[in-house]
Amino acid sequence: MTHQTHAYHMVNPSPWPLTGALSALLMTSGLTMWFHFNSSTLLILGLLTNSLTMYQWWRDVVRESTFQGHHTAVVQTGLRYGMILFILSEVLFFAGFFWAFYHSSLAPTPNLGGYWPPAGINPLNPMEVPLLNTLVLLASGVSITWAHHSLMEGNRKHSLQALLITISLGIYFTLLQTSEYLEAPFTISDGIYGSTFFVATGFHGLHVMIGSTFLTICLLRQLKFHFTSKHHFGFEAAAWYWHFVDVVWLFLYISIYWWGS
Amino acid sequence: MLRSLLVLRQIAQRTISTASRRHFENKVPEKQKLFQEDNGIPVHLKGGVGDALLYKATMILTVGGTAYAIYQLAMASFPKKQA
Repeated sequence: MTHQTHAYHMVNPSPWPLTGALSALLMTSGLTMWFHFNSSTLLILGLLTNSLTMYQWWRDVVRESTFQGHHTAVVQTGLRYGMILFILSEVLFFAGFFWAFYHSSLAPTPNLGGYWPPAGINPLNPMEVPLLNTLVLLASGVSITWAHHSLMEGNRKHSLQALLITISLGIYFTLLQTSEYLEAPFTISDGIYGSTFFVATGFHGLHVMIGSTFLTICLLRQLKFHFTSKHHFGFEAAAWYWHFVDVVWLFLYISIYWWGS
Repeated sequence: MLRSLLVLRQIAQRTISTASRRHFENKVPEKQKLFQEDNGIPVHLKGGVGDALLYKATMILTVGGTAYAIYQLAMASFPKKQA
């Protein structure tokens, strides 16, 4: 029986990187089959195997940390760096779409009429649902901070309530945005306005859904007593991600909804 | 030795439940015992029979799916002539 004499985490061999990579192949080839041959089998298979991989991989991380105690201080530091770098990569992902928006809107081409919003586009009123959406996400930033403080103070009831409020606000945002998408007088195929609007806000909406899911996992873990008042990095990572999603919305609101109208 | 020290630290700081009328009991210590058993089983299978079933299902779907993707690629590479 051998034991390590260092504080790092040497993980057990795992099949999930392989299944994850294969699921990525199935998703991409599945998209091709769906676009060109009207067949969704591969795509569904890809989405299913991707979900299975994510569920089992992260389940194992919870086992390694909460149940096996592998997340020492130095391991946690590594995870913090990792999450920060991941969020940074997402910032750069969105930067591309903002670049596209500003490129097109700062110097509108003659075929758009030489002005922005382009000829024929009736943009959404930024003082209506988009403003409500802004307030909803800002409020969710407050509630998640309350949840964190409650967690650090060992207040179980408050941390659960605040997490639930945050998730509800996230779902409310998603519902409002869905309704906006269905009611909008323009579509994704309405020139460069439609493309920049729906791709930027669409990817943002996807990130709201991912963030809400991450927070829901945190809620379940808090219900199951996984977090302690001193050690709850999973929650912190979810909170950082949520704040990032909120900030992206603020940029979207100011640039596309407000300045862009 | 290091691990058992870490576990003791975690238990000491675990939030104690005072809501006995609720459904949620703290089952973390049981889980810690299960997953720290020195049986050489890797973490992705250590939870029990359910783990092995889910693993097999995932493998079959991904490897099978990959074979299907390669088959579709082969079919798409040689278009059938119109009669």
